[in-house]
Amino acid sequence: MTTLTPSTAREVYRRISDNIARVMQGQAGSTRKLLAALASGGHVLLEDFPGTGKTTLAKALARSIDARFKRVQFTPDLLPSDILGVSIFSQRDQLFHFHEGPIFTNILLADEINRASPRTQSALLEAMGEGQVSVDGERRDLSELFFVIATENPVEFRGTYPLPEAQMDRFAMEFALGYVQPGEEVAILTAQAKNHPLEELKPCASLVDVLALKHAAQNVRISDELKRYVVDLAGATRAASGVQLGASPRASIALMKAAQALALFDGLDFVTPEQIQELAVSVLAHRLVMEPQARFSGLTARGVVEGVVKKVKVPA
Amino acid sequence: MKPPPLLLGATLLFWGWQSGLLVAAVAMAVVLESANLVKARWEFSDEDFSRIWTFCSLLFLGSAVYTFTANEGPASFSGFFQNPNPLTQRAAGRASSLTGASLSRWLPIFFFAFMVAQQFSTRRTVPLTTISLILRRRRKQALKLRRPLPPERNVDIGYPYFAMCLLAAAVHPGEDQSFFWGLCALLTWALWAQRSRRFGLAVWATALVAAIALGFLGQRGIGQLQRYLENLNPQWMARFMRQRGGFDPTQSRTALGSVGELKTSGAIVIRLETKNDASPPPYLRSASYRRYGSPVWFAGSSKDDFQIIPESPPESRTWPLLVKTNTASVNIACYLEGRGSNALLGLLPLPRGSGQLENLNAYLVRTNSAGAVLAEGPRLAVFDARYGSGETIDSPPSTEFNSDEDLDVPEREKEALDAIIEELRLRGADRERALQTLGGFFADKFSYSTWQGRPRTRGTNDTPLGRFLLTTRSGHCEYFATATVLLLRRLEIPARYAVGYVVHEGSGRKYVVRQRDAHAWCLVWDERSQTWQDFDTTPGSWVETESKRASPFQWLSDAWSRIGFEIAKIRWGQSRLRQYLLIVIIPGLALLLYQILFRRGRKRRQDREEEPDRTRLWPGLDSEFYLLEKELARRGVPREPSEPISDWLERVSRACGLEDLREPLAGLLRLHYRYRFDPLGLGDADRAALNREARRCLEILASAAETAPVGR
Repeated sequence: MTTLTPSTAREVYRRISDNIARVMQGQAGSTRKLLAALASGGHVLLEDFPGTGKTTLAKALARSIDARFKRVQFTPDLLPSDILGVSIFSQRDQLFHFHEGPIFTNILLADEINRASPRTQSALLEAMGEGQVSVDGERRDLSELFFVIATENPVEFRGTYPLPEAQMDRFAMEFALGYVQPGEEVAILTAQAKNHPLEELKPCASLVDVLALKHAAQNVRISDELKRYVVDLAGATRAASGVQLGASPRASIALMKAAQALALFDGLDFVTPEQIQELAVSVLAHRLVMEPQARFSGLTARGVVEGVVKKVKVPA
Repeated sequence: MKPPPLLLGATLLFWGWQSGLLVAAVAMAVVLESANLVKARWEFSDEDFSRIWTFCSLLFLGSAVYTFTANEGPASFSGFFQNPNPLTQRAAGRASSLTGASLSRWLPIFFFAFMVAQQFSTRRTVPLTTISLILRRRRKQALKLRRPLPPERNVDIGYPYFAMCLLAAAVHPGEDQSFFWGLCALLTWALWAQRSRRFGLAVWATALVAAIALGFLGQRGIGQLQRYLENLNPQWMARFMRQRGGFDPTQSRTALGSVGELKTSGAIVIRLETKNDASPPPYLRSASYRRYGSPVWFAGSSKDDFQIIPESPPESRTWPLLVKTNTASVNIACYLEGRGSNALLGLLPLPRGSGQLENLNAYLVRTNSAGAVLAEGPRLAVFDARYGSGETIDSPPSTEFNSDEDLDVPEREKEALDAIIEELRLRGADRERALQTLGGFFADKFSYSTWQGRPRTRGTNDTPLGRFLLTTRSGHCEYFATATVLLLRRLEIPARYAVGYVVHEGSGRKYVVRQRDAHAWCLVWDERSQTWQDFDTTPGSWVETESKRASPFQWLSDAWSRIGFEIAKIRWGQSRLRQYLLIVIIPGLALLLYQILFRRGRKRRQDREEEPDRTRLWPGLDSEFYLLEKELARRGVPREPSEPISDWLERVSRACGLEDLREPLAGLLRLHYRYRFDPLGLGDADRAALNREARRCLEILASAAETAPVGR
């Protein structure tokens, strides 16, 4: 495996993000976070209103990388085997043959993940956590680049199953795209007047490039002081008032890894506090379980993490 | 259910009028009703409501404790536990009812904050879990066990508060009917808003009028019943008290003629401490009586001759009873059990020949000719009695023939007495021989017993005393003392019947006297020394017999009594418990309020303390970049603790117009960050560059400052 220098890695990142920017106007920040998750080996949950470009962003990323891409539309009657795959008896050779499900891919778009039953949702647990699936008692490894982009819609609740906390914790990041500025929205209208720019999008990075980027991110150095800062941030969410369940050590790991990737994108070979602060909300907030009372008094997990970032002294 | 507008305000005004807190009531009503005019609302969370509720409850509890002590609560109650009788029970009941009454009067104030919080909250109801402990616990349990939460219920506390105000208004001093009619008006108002539309107005009004009429008649009836009972009560109470209470200076009801076991208690009534290891006085006399009418000894003419003893010198807490030489002193602690017109009063148990009382906290001390010392003061009396042989405060026997009370013998008893005198051949004997013979007679022929059997013969006109002298020859001290007094009187020797206590139980210098040590004996006039002498004919075994009757759990009641005594000492002694209590309650309440309001802060501070101290030094803290940071902070643009340097520098260059510095600062920051956060650190050349760059930036800053002042 070739290891990229920070500057080459930055170049790869630039290429991909520029490519995505052709389709996703005004979403540079989201793209940066998405790629940080990709490079740090995490998965992403996009929660936003319909029509804000969640699926488009996922597809744009998939198209930008020359890698396998599958999309699963989650519905209440979706079964685990519909995702993992199924063994079918062959009449011809009197044997069971395993037919791989959509999970055997590089980039998986799990659209409207909260519409599937908890049983199906948890079929993803092992795959996302350990990069492998167990079907018919047999362990099958997934490909080295396995990246899940899940989307969910925060406004509709009928016929949905909220993701359990354990599943939420498997996502390295959760963020919303949000509505773009009016000017950018006009640009989107212009771009899509005739046909969707997504169709013209061409891959700009190979699978090898992305794997090298991942590898390079792992090699980004981080000092003990900043590790301690990461732990302090996660720890502070556990003690914050109104929080029933704070961020787990898995959250600290995810935050460190994502910060490493971000440092790489910034052309650095070590992590600085800025990268940690930039990602703290996206990495930590969705893992917090708020007390019902706090929820009613308008306190959000996002607000808690923002408060924590403001409170905890940053190393300088 | 929401009360109609203005109802709560009107109720508060009514409460203020009735309980004499009109100013507070007007202010409260205005605040409460302003919620209908003011549009501003606050977003209170469940926790906020919970805090306010806790504060109100604590305020209520603190006030309850204070009011309880203000109404002599602990004192009344300790007396009740130590010596449960109708008197102490009444005192305890009175303390409770006083406490209850004054607390209810203030109820609307205690819970006003909670009511206001509801009125000005956005939801205008309060969560039921705040008030209900059961619901709160159920909710917590469900959270813990991850069970589905019980549904949230919100209630409007308007009507409960309305009821609370009416209850408080009920505690009013006025005797007129205004409370009743006010209550009716307010209830009608409240019910009008809630009336059922199924029935016509006439039906509703009729039902209401009927209810009011019934209520009016009912309360009048209760009032009359209460007045009737009040008239009935004093005689009944007095009769009851005389039988079971402490000594009465006017009369002493004996158990002569009672059948069965004499009940005594082991409760400690007096504590005694002698000075200089002297032996304690054997008897403590409370009173003496002159006229006998079976089975009661009456004070006779000394009943009404109480004389006030002046405190001399004034405010010295010294009460001279008699001008004489006192040779011994003893410290006595006893309780004043009787309720006087404006203070507690009781007979002081005193050694024979007491001449002076010292350190006695009393308002008034009186003595009578029968040697009783009646003190009026706080419940616990602790004092030093100085005493000596010789003279006593008792009057000499009256010599007038008509009122010769000290020689008076009831006609009915004469027969039995004469029989004994004949038996002992004492007719015409002198005093010395009479005392000696009688002493020997009672010691040899009589036995001590607290049990009296049913008389065998019925219908005869023998008296209990006659039966004792001639038939049973067994009885308790009252028999012996009465018999001796009457026998002596029959021999023309003046004698009186004395009651008090015997001191025998103790260790070292400290002695205790129990209720069962109560004793009766006889006072004999000594013509030669012109004094009254103690003469006790009860067999000496009585002390032992009584001690045998002690309960096996006496140690427990003694310990309890000791605690009660210590509390009483604090309460009635020199200390000022109530002031202490106030001093404790107010800061305690303030502290609790602080903790309730700032609990979040406390939690965080604790967390911070729990962290291991970061004495470890991180690498790169000697970077010269910090000089620059310090300089910029000095110039009014300090970095916030959670602000990363890049953001801060951006702010600095924007705010101070230091655009020239932007480039060098970015380079310096890169070096600084590498020095601080790269585990590989900086090479020597880069380290020197960091130093150089930092100094250069400082210089640029200094030169820029000369041209334009830096400021936010």
